[in-house]
Amino acid sequence: MRKSFFFFLMLLFAAVSVGAGAMAAQKSKPAASTPVVAMDKHAAKGVKCENCHANPKKPQPVAMDKCLTCHGDGAAVAKRTASVKPTNPHDSRHFGTEADCNSCHHQHKPSESLCADCHPSFKFKVP
Amino acid sequence: MSKGNSREGQEMDSYTRTVLDKGLSRRSLLSGVAAGAVGASVLGAGGDALAAKPAADVFGKSSDGAATLSFLKKPVPVADKDVKETLTFDVVVVGAGAAGVTAALSARENGATVAVVQKAPFALSQGNSGTGINLGKSDKAGVEALCARIVADSNHRCNPALIRQWAYNSGEAVHWVIDRAKQGGSPVIDQGNLQQGAIVKFGGYNLDFVTSFFGPKPYTTGDGMRHLAITAEKAGVKFFYNMPADQLVQNASGEVTGVIGKGKDGKFIKFIARKGVIMATGDYQNNKAMSDYFIPDLKYMGRKQIGKTGDGFNMIYWAGGVIEPIGHTKMLHDFDAGPALMCDMPFLAVNREGKRFVNEIVEMSLLNNYLRDAKNAGHYSQIFDSDYMTKATGWPGRLFSPEELKNYMPDVPGPKKGVFESQINTHVADTLEELAKKLEILDTATFVASVKRYNEIVASGQDTDFGKPAKYLIPVEKPPFYGIHRRVRVSAICSGMLVDESHRALDAEGKVIKGLWVVGNLGGGFYGGVDYPLTVFGMSLGRCYTFGYLAGRQVAKL
Ligand SMILES: Cc1cc2nc3c(=O)[nH]c(=O)nc-3n(C[C@H](O)[C@H](O)[C@H](O)COP(=O)(O)OP(=O)(O)OC[C@H]3O[C@@H](n4cnc5c(N)ncnc54)[C@H](O)[C@@H]3O)c2cc1C
Repeated sequence: MRKSFFFFLMLLFAAVSVGAGAMAAQKSKPAASTPVVAMDKHAAKGVKCENCHANPKKPQPVAMDKCLTCHGDGAAVAKRTASVKPTNPHDSRHFGTEADCNSCHHQHKPSESLCADCHPSFKFKVP
Repeated sequence: MSKGNSREGQEMDSYTRTVLDKGLSRRSLLSGVAAGAVGASVLGAGGDALAAKPAADVFGKSSDGAATLSFLKKPVPVADKDVKETLTFDVVVVGAGAAGVTAALSARENGATVAVVQKAPFALSQGNSGTGINLGKSDKAGVEALCARIVADSNHRCNPALIRQWAYNSGEAVHWVIDRAKQGGSPVIDQGNLQQGAIVKFGGYNLDFVTSFFGPKPYTTGDGMRHLAITAEKAGVKFFYNMPADQLVQNASGEVTGVIGKGKDGKFIKFIARKGVIMATGDYQNNKAMSDYFIPDLKYMGRKQIGKTGDGFNMIYWAGGVIEPIGHTKMLHDFDAGPALMCDMPFLAVNREGKRFVNEIVEMSLLNNYLRDAKNAGHYSQIFDSDYMTKATGWPGRLFSPEELKNYMPDVPGPKKGVFESQINTHVADTLEELAKKLEILDTATFVASVKRYNEIVASGQDTDFGKPAKYLIPVEKPPFYGIHRRVRVSAICSGMLVDESHRALDAEGKVIKGLWVVGNLGGGFYGGVDYPLTVFGMSLGRCYTFGYLAGRQVAKL
């Protein structure tokens, strides 16, 4: 009886830890020490939560089309960064001009360069 | 068994039996019901959304039913009212990569109407070489001997019938890919036996190869598949780009009847497949939870692909398919930092710390096993001195002269040819200290000491540290010194969904899931070892083309 209770606990732990561990990885965690993130810059320019999230009380992931309504489509964005060296981050052999903005430009956690892992010599500043 | 579902006359092989017994399928949801229900109540305590539904309905489970797997999240059913458009074809191919574009054109040429549903904005694949066997110029016994070797390379854990299927059909398929890609404007060439020197005489038998070479870099099979897609489009295949498939559509009896894709606008399109769906979404290397689960060895390793989140695994799992059990095969290479043909030369090799770590006759493709920790994360450097051209003659591969090496040196200005400029990482320096810096070796003193120790070993003529053959012991003493800083990263993961010899997905009972074919790295059974074998250079792409070609034809002819 005791043994089976212990086994039961182990099962429980396995079920929760594998599930929850990976779920945690998907969520962004806005810690107090979080540096300025893109959302803050948006906010400083007067962009409000509801400009992106239909229901800011229950925010859902925002479709990329939303970004494009202000920033222009992929081709327009690529044009603005055409002279970035060593290569245009918005026109690549992997995505053309249609990369997902959120692969690099996060709103609620620090942005990152998707390129950097494979191309460490591309030192892009990612707002 | 219901009519049409059975694999008549086919005795079940040991590979299939094993995967049915130990693989991951919805069947383990049932065996794990108790744990699932408990898991749900705990998960639900924090958020009421989950409490309403038992977790067993939402997440898949490990094969013993004990662990809930977050990466196997059940697709949310799409109501008919949310479907913007419904389109009907004979065949729907999911994924425009090496296997998918091939399958689509093959199906079209065999008379089917075909749609390709593709996640990326265009066809996307990678690599250069894809290989097949020219049967007409090969001894049958040689083909069988090679198959036996490939099975052994996979530690005898693969399905030999699938290896034979590659062997006996790949010549035809690769020739066809070359011809059709050329029609689309590709500079692809047949390299024949150029890369297969070690196996043209095999166990005393003759073998002859066709090797499609989509190159030189930066041109790759990605560009090649875009050229092949031009031919396919001209032939009438309809491509739907920026359209990740979200889920499979099944009828009441479980037969797969179509695919639902999600457009950029967030709206759904339903693709009805009258004859069948061919899944070709590639591997799952960019799904962190999934690769940490199936191949923990990859935890700290870099990735060479992007966007490969294992979507096809999830879709097929929820349609009743079986994922091969833990013990998946990985492929980690670095052919780019220096000349590919120098990667298996047994020069002194040091890890990130600057320490010798291996008998250097171990091939580059296996070194990942020594560099799995967070600190090394696949990094190592090959070290040699200015006498390498004379002292390393006759070693495996081909030596590149100091002049040729400049093409691989980021610090040497000037145009580079046939390389990815951001991947080259070869260096030359007058002192070991300076070389260590350029190679980003973390501890210069350790590095210098390792070289000193290595030179002592060389002088003694006996590798008392690692046992490397004496013929490969050459000193590192005459400046300038050379180093190639390699970093093996994940090229591909080669394990997948359980299929039969016709590439039809099987369910947990071993029955065919009607209407569902699986090709490319998403298909299982072709590998089984710890690492992808390099006995036949280009076997991975060669297999993708061959199975795409065969499956496309088969579905079209139904
Ligand atoms: C740098 C590098 C070099 C390599 N060199 C070689 C080589 O020389 N020879 C060799 O044999 N092998 C090589 N490989 C391995 C080889 O590239 C792969 O094994 C092969 O491309 C796998 O083909 P595939 O058709 O299964 O998948 P891929 O070619 O990867 O295609 C999968 C496609 O599916 C699409 N997709 C994914 N999810 C979805 C979804 N939900 N909906 C719709 N579409 C989706 C993707 O966008 C992609 O286009 C190399 C790999 C790398 C990374």
